[in-house]
Amino acid sequence: MSGVSLVGVTKMYGHVKALDHVSIDVCEGELLALLGPSGCGKTTLLRCVAGLELPDKGTVEIGTIDVTAVPTRDRPIGMVFQSYALFPNMTVRQNIAFPLEVRHRPRTEVKTRVDELLELVNLTEQANRYPKQISGGQAQRCALGRALAPNPEVLLLDEPLSALDALVRGRLRDEIRRIQQRVGITAIYVTHDQSEAMAIADRVAVMNDGRVEQIAAPADLYDLPATQFSATFVGSRNAVELAVREGRVGIPGSFHIAAPEGSNGHALAFFRPEDVQISRGQTGDGMRARVELKIFLGPTTRLHLVGEDDGRPIAIFGDMASRQARLIEEGETVRVHVDPDHVQAFPILKAGQRGS
Amino acid sequence: MAVNIRRPAARDHGASRLARNLFFGAALFYFCVPMVAVLIYSFSTRWTANVLPDGYTLQWWQATISDHRIQSAFSTSISLATLTALIDIAVVVPAAYWSRVRNARIRPVVEVAAAIPFALPYVVIAFGLMQFSGVVAPQFQGTFPLLVAGHAAIAFPFVYWAVDGAMAAAGIERLSETAEACGASPFQIIRRVVVPNISSGLVTGGLLSFAASFGEFAMAQIIGRGLDTVPLWSAEMIRSYTDTAGSYNRLAVVTLLTFAVLFVLSAVVVYWNRGQTVRLLPGAAATDEGGRR
Amino acid sequence: MATLSRPIAKVGGLESTGGSASPSLLTRMRGWLAAWLPAIPLLLLVSTCLIAPVVVLIWQSFTGMGESGLSLDLWFKVLGQHVNQDAIFTSLVLAVGCSTITLVVGAPLAWMISRMLRGSRAFWLGLLNVAANFGGIGLAFAYMATIGTVGMLTLIVQGLGIAFDAPREGSMPALLVAYEYTNIPLFVLLTIPAMSILREDWWEAAQVAAATRLVFWRRIGGPILAPFLAAGWLLIFTWTLGIYGIAYGLAGQSGATAVHLITLQIGSALQSDVLLGPGRAAILAVVLMVFATTSLVLYRTMLRRALRWL
Repeated sequence: MSGVSLVGVTKMYGHVKALDHVSIDVCEGELLALLGPSGCGKTTLLRCVAGLELPDKGTVEIGTIDVTAVPTRDRPIGMVFQSYALFPNMTVRQNIAFPLEVRHRPRTEVKTRVDELLELVNLTEQANRYPKQISGGQAQRCALGRALAPNPEVLLLDEPLSALDALVRGRLRDEIRRIQQRVGITAIYVTHDQSEAMAIADRVAVMNDGRVEQIAAPADLYDLPATQFSATFVGSRNAVELAVREGRVGIPGSFHIAAPEGSNGHALAFFRPEDVQISRGQTGDGMRARVELKIFLGPTTRLHLVGEDDGRPIAIFGDMASRQARLIEEGETVRVHVDPDHVQAFPILKAGQRGS
Repeated sequence: MAVNIRRPAARDHGASRLARNLFFGAALFYFCVPMVAVLIYSFSTRWTANVLPDGYTLQWWQATISDHRIQSAFSTSISLATLTALIDIAVVVPAAYWSRVRNARIRPVVEVAAAIPFALPYVVIAFGLMQFSGVVAPQFQGTFPLLVAGHAAIAFPFVYWAVDGAMAAAGIERLSETAEACGASPFQIIRRVVVPNISSGLVTGGLLSFAASFGEFAMAQIIGRGLDTVPLWSAEMIRSYTDTAGSYNRLAVVTLLTFAVLFVLSAVVVYWNRGQTVRLLPGAAATDEGGRR
Repeated sequence: MATLSRPIAKVGGLESTGGSASPSLLTRMRGWLAAWLPAIPLLLLVSTCLIAPVVVLIWQSFTGMGESGLSLDLWFKVLGQHVNQDAIFTSLVLAVGCSTITLVVGAPLAWMISRMLRGSRAFWLGLLNVAANFGGIGLAFAYMATIGTVGMLTLIVQGLGIAFDAPREGSMPALLVAYEYTNIPLFVLLTIPAMSILREDWWEAAQVAAATRLVFWRRIGGPILAPFLAAGWLLIFTWTLGIYGIAYGLAGQSGATAVHLITLQIGSALQSDVLLGPGRAAILAVVLMVFATTSLVLYRTMLRRALRWL
């Protein structure tokens, strides 16, 4: 097994920069998720590792070998496609056997290895079905088996779950993670779903506009997004525009923190709904806010709150335990606190600048 | 969904690109040279011995265009083809619509019927039609209405496939249910919901059936005796064995005019379908939809 | 009529309503009308202009003209004639040859066009569409003007000092070349939709699995496309058997030396067959019908097979 390292990878489509000097190191046995909105370049990056796209600049190394100029079929990789890409004229078994047969492995070895993989991806019973006859989840497990069959050094997954429905998606996600850890293979996993990335990855690389915004472990990314883009893209957050007063920003009565560097009159403060504390009663600290709407989410209830700062309305979301929220009526006025340790502020960029 | 701007895998090596260009060049040559030959022929005075004609003239074009018989052949052919297309649209659209929204049993019947003109040569159908009309309605033999009916029968599959495909693409069942839920009457539904949403199918089908009728020769010869359509006129000219009185040159002019008609029709069809294929492998509806998704 | 989109199943369900005879008959009639009325004009057209003629032909092939009672006499007479045997054989050979050439040239052409960018794709589709619709006498004349005995290409080649004898207009090679002009475009237009079934990511997945282009075509692309191509071959075969106009135009140039084809024999039997009259034409038409129907049944089988994986 070996890692992957990308150095200064750049890819242009006409005048569009799909990848802009991307450098990432994926450690041995690690699962790295590439996370970003559509068109951010994450799939292109994956395809550069696979050799299905050739970077205009930069190098791709697998292990310590530079594979930038190596054709796809000679790279030690396995790949799972969003659309499964199972060969429709072959059964599940034949699909998994295909990469081994192409490599002219002895017949007995192929059989043993395929049986092993069918077991691993739990498709022994469906082995003789055609792709048309199995469900989406089974098809993707088959594709995983096919990708792992030749014992590749790196496993590439291109939005493997996005064509599946929610229930199967969660189950298969955990299964992919289990198999990846059991095999101990280095993996790169492309997704646009942040919760999926958080759940499955050792580290997450957030991508935007062909660049890597941040690479961090899921928990760190969740707590401390390094850039404004990460903050908006990862998790649901309140984004409140606030005036900078005497080098500080805040909501009177709720929180105050130091203003970010470079802020020019106004700043954007990010904090999570679960870090908003809501208390009943008219008297006491905190910003007064009206409850506009209550949305029941199961364990928690989300309140849409509208407060006021300097005559300007401030809309924020706050989560509270559903049992307590039952006591609060829509239209009621509550007091709102925000834990300043969990607030991050970024300077407001003018229109046209990157990152907004 | 990471939708990247991705070009089709265009990583050709020089040799394969050269081979491909040669192949397409040969194809282009094959498809265009006969046209060029006919074009030159239509302008030449005499052309039997040398690489190029002995001289050039406009006289054939003038003679042909002012020839009353040719004019009437064109007007017969155009009205024949127009009527064929209109009749086909008029009978196919209600049947196709009804088979989608109301009675699914219409479909297999129509599909089998649509296979007949593809399977049976027009000569056979024409001959059968001649015999049949001889039995039931001899007074129609050799008349324009019989030929129109015959052409409508052999050209209707083009309209059916195009219209049915367009209805499938537009999801006409759901549209029609929605319109009904909005309180529209059946007539309003057809006029304001169905027709606008299948317009590309109507245009394509109509033009294809027009083209089929315009160039059709076998049926015109067998059941259209006494009529003068463009293909019938051409057949007479080509059979005038020796090239007397420039009949071949005039045939060249008429061939080019026919070609021009087809060219315009094709251009419109391709434009309306935005570069998609026009004809389908008959009976392979699933193929086509699979391809579009 | 107001309930347009009632579930389809209900329409057929009327048969089961029992009850007294006359109202149920009336209801049944109305139900039937409501279910079929819009299709009636089309069905009328089809039954009078397609189905009835075919039935009449089959009938006449067994009764002969004016003779009474069913008999196979005429069949024996007609099939015993050398000219008819020759026509059937030549038609089959021509159709097999034509559709095979079409397949060999058309399949790669269709594949490449299906992978083109939209602009050039539209150009080729337009060109092919014109060529596919350009048949009959016009094409026969274009052939003569191009590589007939005094055709342009013939003259050019001879002008270059090469001894070149153009095939006679009514000969087999001439018919082959002329037929291909419409057959190849027709085949390409018919198979392009099938070509789009081969997805780009199968090729990518095959590459990831270390397959070469050759292996991809042998193991994946070939097996998937083969039944579609076979279906296309059958369609062109059927189509070629029935071509009349081009053959009529070209054969007329060669008079008695022209090849015999079923369609040409039908045409000439209609015009000038004193001995057996339209009866001969009817039998040849039924023979053609049998070939065409068999081919169409095979075609359907092929299509079903083509779609089994998809």
